Amino acid sequence: MIESGLLNVQSVSRRRAGRSAVADLSFSLNRGEVLGLLGVNGAGKSTTLAMLAGALRPESGRIDLGGRDFVSQPDIARRLVGWLPENAPLWPELSVEEHLVAFARLRGMTRAQARQAADGVLARLQLGDLRRRLAGVLSQGQRQRLGLACALVHAPALLILDEPANALDPVQVGELRKVIRERAAAGAAVILSTHVLAEVVAVCDRVVILHEGRLRYDAPLSREGDGASLEHHFFSIATGAAA
Amino acid sequence: MTVAAVAGLELRRLAVRPLAWALAALTIAWLAWTFVLGLGQFLGAQVKLAAVADAPGFTDLVAIPLLAELAKLAFLVVPLMTMGLLAGERRTGTLALLASTGLAPWRIVVGKYLAVLAWLVLWLLATLAMPLLVGAGSTADWGKLASATLGTALMLATLAAIGIACSAATSFPAIAAAMALIITLALWTIDRGAQAAGVNGGFLEWLTLATHLQNLLRGLVVTSDLVWFALAITLSLILATRRLGSDRERQ
Repeated sequence: MIESGLLNVQSVSRRRAGRSAVADLSFSLNRGEVLGLLGVNGAGKSTTLAMLAGALRPESGRIDLGGRDFVSQPDIARRLVGWLPENAPLWPELSVEEHLVAFARLRGMTRAQARQAADGVLARLQLGDLRRRLAGVLSQGQRQRLGLACALVHAPALLILDEPANALDPVQVGELRKVIRERAAAGAAVILSTHVLAEVVAVCDRVVILHEGRLRYDAPLSREGDGASLEHHFFSIATGAAA
Repeated sequence: MTVAAVAGLELRRLAVRPLAWALAALTIAWLAWTFVLGLGQFLGAQVKLAAVADAPGFTDLVAIPLLAELAKLAFLVVPLMTMGLLAGERRTGTLALLASTGLAPWRIVVGKYLAVLAWLVLWLLATLAMPLLVGAGSTADWGKLASATLGTALMLATLAAIGIACSAATSFPAIAAAMALIITLALWTIDRGAQAAGVNGGFLEWLTLATHLQNLLRGLVVTSDLVWFALAITLSLILATRRLGSDRERQ
């Protein structure tokens, strides 16, 4: 049974490189909810996220975003979706500020609105000192924060984060958690894909585990009680014990 | 709006990368040298030309050869300018990021096309400034120069569109540049075999880029030539758009 929510994924499948990357995936996500997406390498997490971000088209199934068919109308991603892909791809020759203004403009903002939005997110993510620095000379952690800022600049209703804590130091990880919770409190839905189970326990309301492209587990995190139980489920599924 | 945003982003990237500046500096220096040589020869031949009725003037002997030289350089310069537009972005992952902003593929293609076109127009204007400055003090054939400029501009626009289509087809900028170079050279000389066999006219001659550019360089503005350029540009941009659209299916 699919619940109504901001995001409804219904029986979505996709092959990549000749093999089934995601098969018959269904789940939903409500506003204000933070969903942890777990799975071993090759489980289909990045393919799922790319489809939810509009960068990849499902071969079958339906994705509804805000009540509209996202597959046939990928343009609705412009305002509604913010995506931080793994490794935060950036343009090395552009500055931090230019990235944010460019993404805000691409999302349909006017130049003045884009500058205002860029200033806001620069301040929130403490990137103000780096605003004129070129992306090509940033450290990996700084690149990651800039990628997050690009995903946040238009205050999306659905925030998709693929390994956002990569290369962040513990202080920055703490800041990232705060930002995620702030966005959820503001009514945004957040999908967080990570290999770090503690990250999911610390920030997510619900967890989904994928294995070999299929959804194998979907439950509210509070029901788990603690990280040990989630770890047990994850390893059972990953090693095939729960199959 | 978003086409303008894509074009603005691409122009900014062109402005801060060394490739565009290096190509502009080297080619304009070469064209200036060509212009000075042509002008010197024209001035040296004044006495002979004065004795000939309807002798070719400054436009025929200096300005149009300069534009023809620019057209030759364009075979190399335009593929270098367009090779990374989509292929490079696909390789670094930023193309998927652009697609995730909900932009239709045609908006990305047209935005990038307009950006590279703006650079090419500036390149053409910088070259054109040389004969214009000298021609202003002489009796240049402005109509013929305008026709030749239109022809050169249309050729640049066509090469840019072909370059973008090639860039859309691969993830490797160098392969995109090589493809664009081969395709444009083939398009330039496609009727050579037919001519060698003694066949003139016909479809192959119509298909050849040189046929349409040479008319305009001679001061002949013919509707069928303009239609050829418009078709070549439109077809190339449609191919680029379709290939980009299929990225969402193929990745």
